[in-house]
Amino acid sequence: MYKGLIKGLSVIIGVVFLSFGALAQEGHPLKGSWIGEWSGNTTHGDFVLIVMDWNGEEVTGMINPGTDNMEIESVELDPTDWSVVISADGYTIDAMIENLELPSRALSGSWRSSNGRGDFEIVRQ
Amino acid sequence: MKRLSGIKIISTAIGIMITSLASAHHPIHGKFDPAEAMQLSGIVTKVDWRSPHVHIFLNVTNNNQPVNWAIELENPSILVDNGWKEDSLEPGAAIIVAGMRARDGSRQIWGDSVTLADSGRQVYSVSSKAPAKPLTGRPVPRWPSDNKPALGAGPGGIGGIWSYPSEKALVEDGVNISMNEYGLLDNIDDAARVAPMQDWALARYVHRQQRQLQDDPTYLNCKPPGGPRQYQSDLGLQLIEDKKNERIFVLLGSGNRNYRLIYLDGRDPSGQVGGDDDNPLYYGRSTGNWEGDTLVVNTTGFNEDFWFTNGGLPHTNRLSMVEKFTRTDFDTLHYEVTIDDPGAYTRPWTASWELSWLGGKELPFSLCQHNRQ
Repeated sequence: MYKGLIKGLSVIIGVVFLSFGALAQEGHPLKGSWIGEWSGNTTHGDFVLIVMDWNGEEVTGMINPGTDNMEIESVELDPTDWSVVISADGYTIDAMIENLELPSRALSGSWRSSNGRGDFEIVRQ
Repeated sequence: MKRLSGIKIISTAIGIMITSLASAHHPIHGKFDPAEAMQLSGIVTKVDWRSPHVHIFLNVTNNNQPVNWAIELENPSILVDNGWKEDSLEPGAAIIVAGMRARDGSRQIWGDSVTLADSGRQVYSVSSKAPAKPLTGRPVPRWPSDNKPALGAGPGGIGGIWSYPSEKALVEDGVNISMNEYGLLDNIDDAARVAPMQDWALARYVHRQQRQLQDDPTYLNCKPPGGPRQYQSDLGLQLIEDKKNERIFVLLGSGNRNYRLIYLDGRDPSGQVGGDDDNPLYYGRSTGNWEGDTLVVNTTGFNEDFWFTNGGLPHTNRLSMVEKFTRTDFDTLHYEVTIDDPGAYTRPWTASWELSWLGGKELPFSLCQHNRQ
């Protein structure tokens, strides 16, 4: 019950953030805090938060910082089509950047691990 | 994924709403299509003289029915600079307009030329050329206290501003590329030659160019023209030297009449005396010193919330700049900037241009926020 409540509140908070608009980010398009879902994830729940940074050579970051704490092992960005592959703790996420020039751009695609697979969608905050 | 799709729809809708609300001022090719040239003849019904763009409303007879068109022109400040006034054209006048049609198919065109039908005289024409300079270069004014060049009017001088930049967008020195006044490339294949960009930065630059610069946050959201962009506006800038406090104010005619401070008192590049809580800034933290007759300014601490040049070259918060200001004669300021941003570029690179002195002129009263009215 608590899990459902927390998830519901998190979505509401996310929508409230969105209603104020994400902070502009005109540099590397993956940099920032992202909130969304990897649906059907029975291990870590549907809700996911990702924080990514760009140091000039590689994208680093964390999935669910402070809760499930999964360090991102690698991020491959193909700027020819803005496709992204994120690897972390046995997960592989294949996604595309949508609405590139919007501060609230999205990463949309799929996730997979040894425990399952499903749709993936996060929105930059 | 139904719930998440809803979130995305909301965020996209907000983004589109912000974009449409803020589309008042823009690089013209973002709104008007140069491939859709057209000419209109009609009777002026109204001249709407306000920022960010003057509009002429025109009744054009079509199948014996008057159809009203909107003709978009430059900013009032620029028209005034070219000698025009609100009543230079009055309702009832018959005119011929040549320009390009709005991309959305609405009855709007950008007025490249406006001609009075009866006399053939052009009105509201604009020249982007700087006023002619004296044939013999006037000497650089100097401060008697230290004999350093004055970067503004100087001791006892009348006011003035620097304007008419010879380049409107950053391009690496030595590279010859054709682009318009907003930094839009004539040939997108030239993109990789503009500057030594990393792959992601080049792709983002090309994407912005292909969208005709319509996402420029300086126009969409009144984001300050930070970095070297402040020296690329026709609205000009003023350099006020506060000798007593060893600092220089850079007052901008564009954006929201922002100012930037350059400290010459030897402090660490930490912004104001108490620091600025390490917040990254639009204009960064600038410290400078004189090397002979050249002011050399180092700036770091930029945020990533703005485009640092017309045309949409990306930068990151790893950007640092070395700027060199040299007043080569009374009427000319040579500006050189070396960009070092290992987050977006493969190596440091340099661009330079000149600005012209407009003696006695004050900064135009043009506020970006007026565009929101």
